[in-house]
Amino acid sequence: MSRKGAATRRKPQHPAPRGNGESRPQRRGWALRLARNLAFTAPIAMVLWLLVSPFLSLFISKAAERLTRLGERSSVTRIELSQGEDALISRGDTRAGGRLPYSVRVTDIHFPLVLLIAIFLATPDVAAGERFANLGYALLIIMFFFIVDLFFWVKFAYATQLGAWSAAHYGPFARNFWGLGKHVLDLPVKLALPFALWAAFYLRQLTGELFVQADA
Amino acid sequence: MAKRKRGGARETEADDAPKAAVTSASDGDDDQPPRRRLRPEVRFLITFILVLAASFAFLAWKPVNDKVIEPFTGQIAKASGIALRALGQDVTRTGTMLRSPRFAVNIRNGCNGVEAMVILLAAIVAFPASWKARLLGLAGGAAAIQIVNLVRVVALFLTGAYLPRFFDTSHTVVWQTLVILSAVLIWILWARRVTPRPVPA
Repeated sequence: MSRKGAATRRKPQHPAPRGNGESRPQRRGWALRLARNLAFTAPIAMVLWLLVSPFLSLFISKAAERLTRLGERSSVTRIELSQGEDALISRGDTRAGGRLPYSVRVTDIHFPLVLLIAIFLATPDVAAGERFANLGYALLIIMFFFIVDLFFWVKFAYATQLGAWSAAHYGPFARNFWGLGKHVLDLPVKLALPFALWAAFYLRQLTGELFVQADA
Repeated sequence: MAKRKRGGARETEADDAPKAAVTSASDGDDDQPPRRRLRPEVRFLITFILVLAASFAFLAWKPVNDKVIEPFTGQIAKASGIALRALGQDVTRTGTMLRSPRFAVNIRNGCNGVEAMVILLAAIVAFPASWKARLLGLAGGAAAIQIVNLVRVVALFLTGAYLPRFFDTSHTVVWQTLVILSAVLIWILWARRVTPRPVPA
């Protein structure tokens, strides 16, 4: 191959410049490529999630147990994993009239990982190193969120689900706080977080020239 | 973060533009340093979170839930019942409950597509666009999400009736992910469409 040929081959390795030179069909093409990539990355993300799910559930359960115990004078909260997906919450000091253990499905907490991995891997025009670095940061953030979410589930169970024991140990404000916190974290935040993290990393790529103008 | 550090040609180009603008501003009559503004991503995320929180607080309010969300979910159950009957299922509906001799399902919050619609609403409001474009995006997006959600309810009912061991995984992981992904994709396509074309220098 001639030097000229090699130079020509190297050129496409640089992503096409976004922003000023980009026409509307090209920009729509980027979004369509993202959609097409998702058709491949979503099943891959799902298989990955299914493979790591038991380990993830165990890690989140144990981390949430530690987090809950931080607020206890004597460490009484126990979170055991059952069948690789259900967290059985119990206490060392009471069975709360037979209402403990309380079961929470941990896989319901960490399934948004599928969405996060799929959309980060599907984003076009990102170098592999940058892609995995961004995914790594996002994974750290979302793992922390999963632990906090399960922690709120534990406190929600203590404050509202154990009948007389809950009423005796938690006041109206605490019951509302843990109930609302669990609801907010477990529905809107859990479902929106993968998208919010993706937007934090790739919003400028999505709308390059618009945000450059806004910055100026 | 990694993106800034590793910015290639694309990033360099983006970073240069604000510098040029700042230089030209300071060359003019106004000697004041340029006012620091939030990064657009941060502005977007803050607005997104605020709208999301306000919308969910509003929807969680009991009168709204009882008078708007529950009847809306009932309509979804009605539409799903019609679709299932068209597919040959012997389905009856009571409120938000669909029942057949093989399987019964209750459509509740989280299964009515409202969460995905609220995420779309928050993302559309947070994105810089005209209100007309926002309203069009929201109307079209909400309709598309409800179509996906209708497919979800029908598919889940059939899964529960004929492949019950796959119901839980399908319900939680597959369809929740697909509905949220559809909202995200609709927003991305909308955002790319409404982003103004740059004026040639």
